[in-house]
Amino acid sequence: MAHQAHPYHMVDPSPWPLTGAVAALLLTSGLAIWFHFNSTILMTLGLVLLLLTMLQWWRDIVREGTFQGHHTPPVQKGLRYGMILFITSEVFFFLGFFWAFYHASLAPTPELGGCWPPTGIIPLNPFEVPLLNTAVLLASGVTVTWAHHSIMEGERKQAIQSLTLTILLGFYFTFLQAMEYYEAPFTIADGVYGSTFFVATGFHGLHVIIGSTFLAVCLLRQIRFHFTSEHHFGFEAAAWYWHFVDVVWLFLYISIYWWGS
Amino acid sequence: MYYKFSGITQKLTGSGPAVAYNPQGLRPAVPAEPPAMVFGTPTRVLSEAGPAVDFMGVNKVPDLQRIFQTTDGVPVHLKRGYPDRLLYRTTMALTVGGALYCLVALYFAAQPNRK
Repeated sequence: MAHQAHPYHMVDPSPWPLTGAVAALLLTSGLAIWFHFNSTILMTLGLVLLLLTMLQWWRDIVREGTFQGHHTPPVQKGLRYGMILFITSEVFFFLGFFWAFYHASLAPTPELGGCWPPTGIIPLNPFEVPLLNTAVLLASGVTVTWAHHSIMEGERKQAIQSLTLTILLGFYFTFLQAMEYYEAPFTIADGVYGSTFFVATGFHGLHVIIGSTFLAVCLLRQIRFHFTSEHHFGFEAAAWYWHFVDVVWLFLYISIYWWGS
Repeated sequence: MYYKFSGITQKLTGSGPAVAYNPQGLRPAVPAEPPAMVFGTPTRVLSEAGPAVDFMGVNKVPDLQRIFQTTDGVPVHLKRGYPDRLLYRTTMALTVGGALYCLVALYFAAQPNRK
């Protein structure tokens, strides 16, 4: 390798932007074909290609960072800014759903009976499973911090145990939410209450699943000795994301489950 | 900077000068004399020590770093050899085949529905 006189990462030519773009084409066209002709072949093809692209692209980033040492401090700074901007965009994504919820609930239209929750809607009791879910997510925030400190202190065993505990708490939350959806006395088709409730909590649930996957990848990397006590940005990004998901839940709980009932 | 022994973390931590002169938390059984020196122990270089066995598996990162840092002009997505090429070719085949199939499907979807 030629000696470089700067700390930045000059990436190798990569096929993944191309395969990812084609995956997006197949996925969107596949959805249209599914809706119009009831055939899921193209959509499935797009999903498989998307999964293959994600797997190999992120695998390459681990190779560049952990095995090739390209993630120097200035490169890590860029990664940090990137993750911060990404989470900021996610904040605004959820802000839209809260806007829709408050728009509908603060001045309920006559069609809803002029009240919130709308006439005929029996909301979920916020002090049953939703309160347990709040406790589960807050506890997972504690265990992820325990994992972070374990990594910084070089406590390998504790880091693995606390990270496993965090992921299990994430799965427990998803399980409880699935039960709650199954038992709910209203559906997504039950007017603006149902749509705002299921779109907001549904996207949050999707983010919990993504966060759990992100943490599971970190657990695998921790087991394989990828993280050092000084350099473990992959884990930190996952922890930031997990805290973000946690905070969104607190707002959902207070607004939709508690105030909204 | 002054240091003190922290009873909580069992490690040295920073402290003020007063605490450093009045150390607390030292273990009572610290030997007063240094242990006798042992000579003649064969020294082993770190790389000869072999992989260190730790909780849940062996650290393979140094070996992987050696593989991925070889200068052979192979891009990072193919550096691991055969399994990488297999995955890459599968993905590329799906990309090209899928794009063509998609164009055909969209062409037929664009035809008017004559009954």
